[in-house]
Amino acid sequence: MRLLLAHLVQNKNGQFARTDEVIESEAILIGRGTDCKLHLPDPRVGLHHATIQKSATDRFTIEAPNGVMMVDGRAERASLLMPGQKIQLGPYTFGVLPAPDNIDVALTIELTEPLADRTGAMAIAQKRARGGLGATWLSKRTLSWLFAAVVGVCFLVWPVYHAIKRDHYQHSHAGPLKKSITPDGAWDPGPLDSGHASFGRNCATCHQVPFVQVSNDACENCHQTVGWHFPHTTDAAKELHRAVFSADGSEGRCAACHRDHKGVNALKRQDLPLCTDCHRDLKTRHPEVGIPNITDLKSDHPPFKLSMLVPGKTGRDAVLRISQRDKAGLIEKSNLKFPHDVHLSPAKAGGVRSPNGRRAMECKNCHVPDETGTRFKPTTMKEHCQECHSLEFEPQASQRQVPHGRVDDVIATVNEFYAQAALLGKPIDQSDHQTQGLARAGARPPGHPAKNIAWVNQKAEAIVTEMMEKRTCFSCHEISRDMTTAGATWKIAPIAVTQHWLPKSRFPHNRHDTFECKKCHDVGKSKDSADIAIPDLNNCKSCHSGNDVEKDKAPGTCETCHGFHVGGARAGKPVALPKVPVAASDKIKSAVGLAEK
Amino acid sequence: MAVFVVLASIIAYVSQTAPVGKYGGTPVGYALGGVAAAFVFWLMWFGVRKRQYKASMTTIQGWLSAHIYLGATLVVVATLHAAFQVGWNVHTLAYVLMLTVIASGFFGVYAYLRFPALQTENLGDDTLDAILLKIADLDKQATRISLAMPDNLQSAIERSVEGTIIGGGIYQQLRNKHPHCPTRRAVVMLEAVNNERAFKGEQAQALRSLYDVMLRKQKTVARARRDVRYRALMEAWLYVHVPLSFALLTALLAHIVSVFFYW
Repeated sequence: MRLLLAHLVQNKNGQFARTDEVIESEAILIGRGTDCKLHLPDPRVGLHHATIQKSATDRFTIEAPNGVMMVDGRAERASLLMPGQKIQLGPYTFGVLPAPDNIDVALTIELTEPLADRTGAMAIAQKRARGGLGATWLSKRTLSWLFAAVVGVCFLVWPVYHAIKRDHYQHSHAGPLKKSITPDGAWDPGPLDSGHASFGRNCATCHQVPFVQVSNDACENCHQTVGWHFPHTTDAAKELHRAVFSADGSEGRCAACHRDHKGVNALKRQDLPLCTDCHRDLKTRHPEVGIPNITDLKSDHPPFKLSMLVPGKTGRDAVLRISQRDKAGLIEKSNLKFPHDVHLSPAKAGGVRSPNGRRAMECKNCHVPDETGTRFKPTTMKEHCQECHSLEFEPQASQRQVPHGRVDDVIATVNEFYAQAALLGKPIDQSDHQTQGLARAGARPPGHPAKNIAWVNQKAEAIVTEMMEKRTCFSCHEISRDMTTAGATWKIAPIAVTQHWLPKSRFPHNRHDTFECKKCHDVGKSKDSADIAIPDLNNCKSCHSGNDVEKDKAPGTCETCHGFHVGGARAGKPVALPKVPVAASDKIKSAVGLAEK
Repeated sequence: MAVFVVLASIIAYVSQTAPVGKYGGTPVGYALGGVAAAFVFWLMWFGVRKRQYKASMTTIQGWLSAHIYLGATLVVVATLHAAFQVGWNVHTLAYVLMLTVIASGFFGVYAYLRFPALQTENLGDDTLDAILLKIADLDKQATRISLAMPDNLQSAIERSVEGTIIGGGIYQQLRNKHPHCPTRRAVVMLEAVNNERAFKGEQAQALRSLYDVMLRKQKTVARARRDVRYRALMEAWLYVHVPLSFALLTALLAHIVSVFFYW
């Protein structure tokens, strides 16, 4: 197929110039695409806009399946080419001419709609459409600077400025949700421990030097009495501390275990590995300490060792530690006579005699909880015994008692009592009734002074000897007659009532008060104060599990009974129990610089 | 590499023994934090790298691929670094900014997978420029024909020529909502007039061609607007992605400085 194409170009005077061109091809593709035989370089023309080809009936057709084609003013998909037709494809207008010889189709082509000028409203629309979001007020660069600056100023520059000036605490502002805002408040990674909350907004209390980890000094400003893990007195012990705490990587930093900002009650490390990491093979690691390997209460906890006071000794010798395995050694030497069975005689058996008649005693009559509720106040003669065990010595003067103390004082008191009676004929502080009673008893002395003295001495010695060797003092104390000094005198064995049998553990009695005392301390049949009624390990294990949680059992990890900072406490004395956190005392406040607030 | 980093992070996190609880300050926590911070800096370097046109050992396609995969990895690494702890503080701010940036990046991936195909489907052989030129042509034709029309029709056509917005504000671009489009109004008006059959002869013929032109304009404008919308959607996420990534950068610096300032 041969196509004659006559290009019509209008010059500026409106005259047409014509250039002919012959295109030869099976079918002639018209479009913007460079593969088109008839290439129309205009964006308004389709890539493959139309095709001219020979039809089955040997006539020539133009088809525009993809683009718009106007044939004599009408939109058509396809059309036969007839001379005189005007065909518009985009901005081009084709005129169909009668075909000369050797030519199948003759067309004129003219660009009737040149590209619109790019000024005015359309140009603005085009610019806006092409510009996309960049043509709006949005700007990535501006937003980036803005956001970065806001975040940087609020969370970096402002806090750092005040942190360097160290006046954070003074710069708190009332914020939403009734919370005050401090410059470095947003740096706070989490809630402080309740004990630290009162001064926690002053970060520099603990974080004393920028870019330096919190030092132990910061902790010890307030926590001045925290014990070592084990005694730290000798050089060897100090060396052992260094070895142990450099091996575990903590370097002895408080904060290695005590991490704050982890919740109101999360400062204390209570995990098992804290203990068992070392204690599981302590025999190999540090054989010198002589402590067996322990991993679990359930499996390898050794029997308890009781710490017993030794009468008359001081210092390290004052405490004897005896394993509960050593049954023969479990004898308390308190030098007191105290049969629990008599005192705890039940009501149906008549109880015990008292000034107010017979009554049944209970444990709590003598064992009174201390302020913490964990242990008991010491039992004293004055508070717990003397009501029944009166120290009277003269039946006719029943309210007159000897002092509870030194033997000399007892002797002197008795002597004075009878000397006074000899001088006055009556004791000075007794009622008439009693004086009369005394006189009736024949106690009225003869008038001669020498005779009086003899009477007094004889009377007093008889009384004191009876007290020391038969009743009163003798009923509770171990007393020996001292023959070394002139005259008759007695020696009372030193008392050593153990207050804390298991000082390396903590046992809060108040948390076990759902049980009766005798569940653990079975003293109802004890006739002798030498009996020890401290429960053994199996007693604890009957309720407490080991490391693993067990059904219907209380926890039984190391931390349940033992603390870490126990090395500073002296043996035989109770270990300080953790106190309930209270508001910062003035001491703490002054230590952390809040006193003026 | 992304898979390796994810697996290594998870293994490190799970296997660590943290006596005072897992958090960003344990050795593993510091390691994860260091990796995450390095990732953030590297990911942000993409903005620089993509502007370097000179020849390089690496391709920008490779960088983009790594940018996406390592960016996704960062979600895991940073979450493990934080040990799933959040609070009202600069640390969580950085974390949330990071998640937002990554989420917007994911939308970007989605946009670049989906919208180019829709664009091609919408534009066919044309380009947006070609469509806009076609509209300009149609405007010319419509203006020419409308000169012979009553005033109300003529001014409707003029409003359509002058006031048809393609693109427009952020909302208009993204939602493609043009309720007061003058072209649509002109078409509606022409339709009504045409249905009245009030015109006779040549004027009726002219009305039909005007209607025809304006219908084509309406369709063409709709295509142009769809194209603008696709372009806007493909761009929009970057207005979140880029500015928030700079906010993240300063938040990250604040996070690092604050942690070690109060060590």
